Amino acid sequence: MIPLELSILLASTMFTIGLYGLITQKNGIKLMMCIELLLNSANINLVAFSAQQPNVNGQVFALFSIALAAAEAGVGFAILIALYRLYGTIDLDNINAMRW
Amino acid sequence: MYADYAYLIVALPVLAFLLCLFLGWNLPRGGGFITVLATLGAFIVSLGIFTETYPNEIVHQSMPWFANFNVGILIDPLALVMLLMVSFVVTLIHIYGNGYMNGDPGAARYFAEAALFSASMLGLVYADNLLQLFIFWELVGLCSYLLIGFWYRKPSAAAAAKKAFLTTRVGDVLFLAGIILLYNNLANLNIALKPGEYLLQFPVIYAHIMEIPADQLTLIALGLLGGAVGKSGQFPLHVWLPDAMEGPTTVSAMIHAATMVTAGVYLVARMFPLFYAAPYGLTAVAAVGAFTALFAATMGLTAFDIKRVLAFSTVSQLGFMMAGLGVGAAVGAVAVGVSMFHLIGHSFFKALLFLCAGSVIHAVNTNDMREMGGVGKYMKWTMYTMLIGSLSLAGFPLFTGFFSKDEIIVIAYEYGTMINFLPYIFLVLAAILTAIYTFRMWFSVFTGKERSNYGKHESPMVMIGPLVILAVFAFGFGFAAQEDFYSYLDSNFEHYDVNFEHLAAIGGHEILGEHGAEAAAEGEHAAAEGEGGGEAAAEEAHGEPWYIQILPIIVAIGGILTAALFYWDKVKKFDPSQVTGDKDPLRQTLLKGYYQHEIFTGWFAETVVYGTSLICNMIDIKLVDGWLNWLSAWVLGFAQHVRKVQTGIVQNYVAALMLGVVVLVVVIYLGKGVGLI
Repeated sequence: MIPLELSILLASTMFTIGLYGLITQKNGIKLMMCIELLLNSANINLVAFSAQQPNVNGQVFALFSIALAAAEAGVGFAILIALYRLYGTIDLDNINAMRW
Repeated sequence: MYADYAYLIVALPVLAFLLCLFLGWNLPRGGGFITVLATLGAFIVSLGIFTETYPNEIVHQSMPWFANFNVGILIDPLALVMLLMVSFVVTLIHIYGNGYMNGDPGAARYFAEAALFSASMLGLVYADNLLQLFIFWELVGLCSYLLIGFWYRKPSAAAAAKKAFLTTRVGDVLFLAGIILLYNNLANLNIALKPGEYLLQFPVIYAHIMEIPADQLTLIALGLLGGAVGKSGQFPLHVWLPDAMEGPTTVSAMIHAATMVTAGVYLVARMFPLFYAAPYGLTAVAAVGAFTALFAATMGLTAFDIKRVLAFSTVSQLGFMMAGLGVGAAVGAVAVGVSMFHLIGHSFFKALLFLCAGSVIHAVNTNDMREMGGVGKYMKWTMYTMLIGSLSLAGFPLFTGFFSKDEIIVIAYEYGTMINFLPYIFLVLAAILTAIYTFRMWFSVFTGKERSNYGKHESPMVMIGPLVILAVFAFGFGFAAQEDFYSYLDSNFEHYDVNFEHLAAIGGHEILGEHGAEAAAEGEHAAAEGEGGGEAAAEEAHGEPWYIQILPIIVAIGGILTAALFYWDKVKKFDPSQVTGDKDPLRQTLLKGYYQHEIFTGWFAETVVYGTSLICNMIDIKLVDGWLNWLSAWVLGFAQHVRKVQTGIVQNYVAALMLGVVVLVVVIYLGKGVGLI
């Protein structure tokens, strides 16, 4: 049994990496990947806590979360493709039509 | 039994209004017969109630409406004579209208509006509280507006309708202010109302006049007088009435001569105890009335439009009625009977005169008397009925106008002996002028040479019939009904809790004169007042010098003869131009109506009101709008800076989000640490 502390350490490391990427990166696809990292760090937490107490609720939630992440990724990439067709780039710094 | 159906007096014409409005265009002659039948029904019900209640009963029905108000029917002698007169005259005019409006494409609209008018006027007359009276008062004003502007494609008719509406509105605002003041004062008295009694009901008002402070009474009376002045075309709000002749002649006869314009006089008569108690209340009424009587008569002398002559005459005669009420300060409640008698008689002969004028206009196709002349050869019926109406208006002995007008002049003389002779002098002068302008009109229309090539035919029988009936009343009503009418009307306020002696004390009238006059009228208080003083006063009141008694006769005949010398070709001695040439300033002043248009519209409206409104406009723009615009500009400028926060760069948003979360976490942990959360 992997100790709970290690799982939480892994999850928080992933979360920090994702957040760092989200703040520093400009490329749309990289951002999508960072968001996946954030989501999956949460999933790891769910599974770890669920395994700690003999109860599968958390693992079921993790499955739901993965399904949602897939759907979100689908929508996200579709938007990125649409943006690419419109602007010829997916560098988010150049896509600012909605700001003041 | 008839009293149970009193509501029909209003309900029937309302029904006719709806029928004519929605179905009239599909019916022969615009459904005019419906309106005739409805008003005839109202007349029959009124007559039935009259036979039931005469001479000393009243009908009072009431039901709650909302809050402190009710709707109700009050038929006392004062209301009943008005109901009878209005429904009778209006029925005849509707019959006549069936002939007059025949072929007009708007006939259905005319009859619908005329029916609505009949309903509102009848409702006004027998309303049992001031609020209800005011509502019908406004409805009557609306009908007047609609009917003056009946030929609304004609710019002058549309302008006249607007003028009438706006001018009477000035009076109506004062009237409403008077009602509100009265209600306020009554509410302050904390009256213990019995079930079924409401504050604005006339019996309640009458019973509590004495408890209202005198200065408030004067304000209320002046407010109500303002309403009456507007509706009855008294100076200075008379300007709309001559212009109101733009409507069909039947409308002029019905609304602007016989019925609606008497609403103002009726209001003063209805509230007579209040006017009597208010210091200066009746003085103001007498002053307005007497001045208007003379003022309008002078303008009647020079008008060329036959309907305008009659309009000025109406204003003048309404002035007589007002003055008749006003001199009640000296003679007491008798004045109501005298004034109402003139009102009823006047509505007969003035309706007759207008309908005759309509008959002439129908044939001749012009209003201008300079283009008529010699019409009598072709229109015998119209000529003789109009002669009767004119003699009555001029006050020729034995005609209705003689009895009614001269009684007003006589009580004005009594007022003179006690208080002030000015109203008497004004009224006598007005009576002379009345006779002159009436017969100037009659002679120049019916006698002499034809001054233009006009249509020469008599009007159809449906128009002649009402003329003949009205002529009978214009001639005979006076001596047939005078004594009974006075005693019937004098009993009016005996049905209520009104003590005229107390009211006189508040109003500051001479109590002695008051007793004398009442004694003269009723002959019963006299003995009670003791030691023959009352009787002596009674003697005095009835014993005007002989020259006062016959002066009105001399005035009437003298006026007619004067007119004949100027305008009747058979006895013509003088030419009018010898007296005043066309360029004469006096003549010009009269023709222009004392330059009222120039003063009211040209100077007052266009200079004073427009100038004031320019200033107000500037204040509005610079001050009221100014600070608001400054505020919104400031907010916009501030937003210009604040919106820079929305950079459109996702990373900034994420960073802000994270910062928020961190702050939240820190706050929660610190809060837990110090025990805040």
